[in-house]
Amino acid sequence: MKKAILIIGILFFAASSHAQMSAETIVKKAFDYWRGEASVSTITMTIHRPDWERVMTIKAWTRGESDSLFVITKPAKDRGNGTLKAGKGMWMYNPKVNRVIKLPPSMMSQSWQGSDFSNNDLAKSDSLIKDYMHTLENTKIHEGKKVYSIKSMPKPEAPVIWGMIKLTIREDNILLSETFFDEDLAPVKIMTAWDIQMAGDRLFPLKWKMQKSDTTTEYTLFVYEKIKFKKSLNKNIFTQTNLKNPGI
Amino acid sequence: MSIELKMAWRNIWRNPRRTLLTIAAIAFASMILVFMLSFQLGCYETMINTSVKISTGHLQIQAKGYLKDKKMRLVIKNPDKVAKFLDTIKGIDTYTFRTNGFCLVSSDKRTYGVVVTGIDPLKEANASSIKSLVRKGSYLKEDDQYTALMGGLLSNNLKVDINDEITILGQGRDGSIAAAVLTIKGIFNSGIDEFDRNVIMMGLKGFQEIFSMGKSVHEAVITADSLGDVSMIKQNIQNNFLTIKGDDSLAVPDWMEIMPGLLQGIQMDLVSGIIMYIILVIVVAFSIFNTFLMAILERTREFGVMMAIGTSPSRITKLVMFESICMTIVGILLGIIIGSLVTLYFQKYGIFIAGTEDILKEYGIPERLYPRLSLISAAAGPFVVFLITFVSSVFPALRIRKLNPVKAMANV
Amino acid sequence: MVIILAWRNIWRNPRRTIVILLAVIIGVWSMIFLGALMRGMETQMVKNAISTLTGSIQIHHKDYRNDPVVENSMNNIDKLDKALSTTLDPGIFWTKRVRVNAIASNARHATGVTLVGIEPEKEAKISFIGKAMISGRFLLPEDKNKIIVGKAFIEKFNTKIGNKLILMSQNTQKEIASKAFRIVGIFSAESEAVEKQFVFVPISQALKILKMGDSISEISIMLPRLDITGKNETRAAEKLKAAINDDTFVIETWQQLLPMMKAYLKISGFFLYIWYFVVFVAMGFGIVNTSLMAIFERMREFGLMKALGMRPFQIIKGVVTESFFLLVLGILAGNILGFLSVAVIAKNGIDLSALAAGTQMWGIPRILYPEIWVQDVIVAGLVVLFLGILVSLYPAFKAARVTPTTAMTKN
Repeated sequence: MKKAILIIGILFFAASSHAQMSAETIVKKAFDYWRGEASVSTITMTIHRPDWERVMTIKAWTRGESDSLFVITKPAKDRGNGTLKAGKGMWMYNPKVNRVIKLPPSMMSQSWQGSDFSNNDLAKSDSLIKDYMHTLENTKIHEGKKVYSIKSMPKPEAPVIWGMIKLTIREDNILLSETFFDEDLAPVKIMTAWDIQMAGDRLFPLKWKMQKSDTTTEYTLFVYEKIKFKKSLNKNIFTQTNLKNPGI
Repeated sequence: MSIELKMAWRNIWRNPRRTLLTIAAIAFASMILVFMLSFQLGCYETMINTSVKISTGHLQIQAKGYLKDKKMRLVIKNPDKVAKFLDTIKGIDTYTFRTNGFCLVSSDKRTYGVVVTGIDPLKEANASSIKSLVRKGSYLKEDDQYTALMGGLLSNNLKVDINDEITILGQGRDGSIAAAVLTIKGIFNSGIDEFDRNVIMMGLKGFQEIFSMGKSVHEAVITADSLGDVSMIKQNIQNNFLTIKGDDSLAVPDWMEIMPGLLQGIQMDLVSGIIMYIILVIVVAFSIFNTFLMAILERTREFGVMMAIGTSPSRITKLVMFESICMTIVGILLGIIIGSLVTLYFQKYGIFIAGTEDILKEYGIPERLYPRLSLISAAAGPFVVFLITFVSSVFPALRIRKLNPVKAMANV
Repeated sequence: MVIILAWRNIWRNPRRTIVILLAVIIGVWSMIFLGALMRGMETQMVKNAISTLTGSIQIHHKDYRNDPVVENSMNNIDKLDKALSTTLDPGIFWTKRVRVNAIASNARHATGVTLVGIEPEKEAKISFIGKAMISGRFLLPEDKNKIIVGKAFIEKFNTKIGNKLILMSQNTQKEIASKAFRIVGIFSAESEAVEKQFVFVPISQALKILKMGDSISEISIMLPRLDITGKNETRAAEKLKAAINDDTFVIETWQQLLPMMKAYLKISGFFLYIWYFVVFVAMGFGIVNTSLMAIFERMREFGLMKALGMRPFQIIKGVVTESFFLLVLGILAGNILGFLSVAVIAKNGIDLSALAAGTQMWGIPRILYPEIWVQDVIVAGLVVLFLGILVSLYPAFKAARVTPTTAMTKN
């Protein structure tokens, strides 16, 4: 009798921790899928506000979970402006003044290029993995595929401003949405991804939108015109020298 | 009525020395109050005008909501229209336009977050005191595009000096990147640390180009001829410009809304001043009270006689009150006249308080302080003196009613 | 002889005497009272400013005040510790702090603040923060990630105790360092600006995220008693400077840290004494008037004295002596009245919260505790006595000039 209870207990424990690890694994796999080992892409970013709109074309390189380089190629007057995130620092470059400037803390919460992403959002791109604990809330079926709803709570000491993040991830590791909540668990902004197509060797959502939760007239839209996933990229791409001269 | 008045007047001159001393006490108190109040108000005006001239102006025209949250996009789209209207308003001394943007500024050694302000060098020199606060190098010229003025503290922190280059990086009105290299032309020192550490000024045209502003600006900064004109100007703009020209995206905050702390600080000081004045008035009132009391006691015999021949006590009381009112009025008038003259003299030439020049200079406050005579300062003090003197003469006067004519007449 | 006569003369007509006495008493009382109010205000202003982190004396790296960044921190703390414990008298407290500019943010707001890392127990003895908590609790040295913020800050950020606050700043390696803290207490300060500006964490945490090792930004020292002339503080600072003997450290007193305050105090004192003079003149008219009336009442008496051979000079002496006694009595009584009235108010202070808005901005105390300064009492007394005697010369001369016949037949 005792043995039975013990076995059931272990199985139960294994099952629940399996579910736990499952959530974690789901998120990690989705993240890795999204970031890939490395990628090079061309993105059209549209910043939309009630009274104006701005459209830019950006060339983006990412490597692993934390290195990234974004350089504006269009419009012409902003061409060559770049943002580099490597290691723990973030730098900006402007060809007109020919200066590479390291971003101080006071600029981190400012918006990146006027969009709905903050500099911090870019800098802390790997925060989702590092700073949160994930639980699987439920699983639905949509268009024949399983969609996991995951609740991510920040680890107690993690320096993240969000109180909670909710993710919806498809079983083939595609991130469909990410909702950011404040500490009172009211939604602040939400990122959604759609238009899933074959891009290179895998399916990938080509359209991403970041929007504040309380308005529909303010949003930032990312459209991947081109994306190529690679096994690796040269480390030298993510240096200040390359930031100045990225060969676009 | 008039016989009591005539008698009262004659009575007080029966004892000229006493009357003169009493009048002198009242006149002195009134004069001091007129002068001190004028001085205090004048100081406030100086303080306000000085503070206001450093950056905010007496009032401003801005986009609605800009006061609270200085977003690049909240602009005045047609500064020319605004300028044309402002030209028609009497009471405006000068006006100028400004733009602001929060940027990163970096030198070779350091990077800081600052506010870059675009100014119209010619108009700004009249509207604010910035030109006079430039301590090193020189002020901006009208066609300067990529030169800047920097606060002393900021230049220290960035480790730069005149003719060095700095880079500014910020966000344009349309969200695009705004970046430029500026040469430092002048270094200013306002005495206000916050200002000297966080502000860079450059030419308005250059700013508009770098930050993709087109012709728009963020602020129209207006200085009035005098503090008293501010509300009139504000009304004028609100009624005639904002509504008619149909531009209700604009607001007209005045200096009190832009710098609430200044007003409150002044109110505080006014209160402490008032405490002092009240104490002075109490002392004077007491002096008068004393004098009246003694005088009435001295005239006990006289009152006894009057009562004996049939004058009612209340008539005597009325008589005595008139006497005190006459003296008070003469004293107050004299006080107001002398006080006003003295005030006007200093209003023209200013008062110089030894030992304070250094501090005042630091803050751009002129060394000479000017009292300002106004209806309030000339009337408020003397009015209070009148009231309190009146009240303090009532008690001695009432004592008369208790007099017994026979006993009174026996008095020496 | 003259003295005894003068004394008796005063009391011959109590009513007359009292009337004049009253004038002097009121005048003196007003000087003491006003002086006490003003000084009380001054002292409270300085105390407020000092307890809001300034302290009596502060020590910094020589470049820190111009550029308060992590690089300008003080190493070599043991040297300082030693100097402090050996030179300063017991009863003088000091504390170490880390102070840097940082950005505080949560999901919806971000703003610049001054991050202050404190030694909670020592800090509580020195600055306002120890008694300023209105909600939650104060910091404990062993707290790992707890922070306390001001009331106005909570309102601005729309947050509450228990919520997170992310603090971001630049560390000694020039990297951006950030850490999550939990709000564990709310403090209130004399001004909203202070409440919005300062956030406090345990010093160990600040040192950790900024990678400062064991260097610190400042040392604040509090003398047990505020010396509003600043002399005590200056003396202590000099002693320290000699003991430390290292000019990478700069030691400054509150007067040097708050030059505006020093200037204001000077001007304030100056104006107070001018005001004493004004009050006296206002009072003086009354005194001259009543004295004259008194003298004229006694004309017969003076005529008689002259007829009996008293010389004018002696009459003057007599009258002046009488005035002297009156003034002294009046000054004494006025002082007593002044002390009493101040004592009554001093218990609870005068509540200025009705003018709260203004007091906020300028750090003027909300409750005013009047304070009597010995020098003011002496000045008031001397002014009244000296000028009072001067002023009594006029009636005295009048009395002396009377001719016996006219005086005695007057009536």
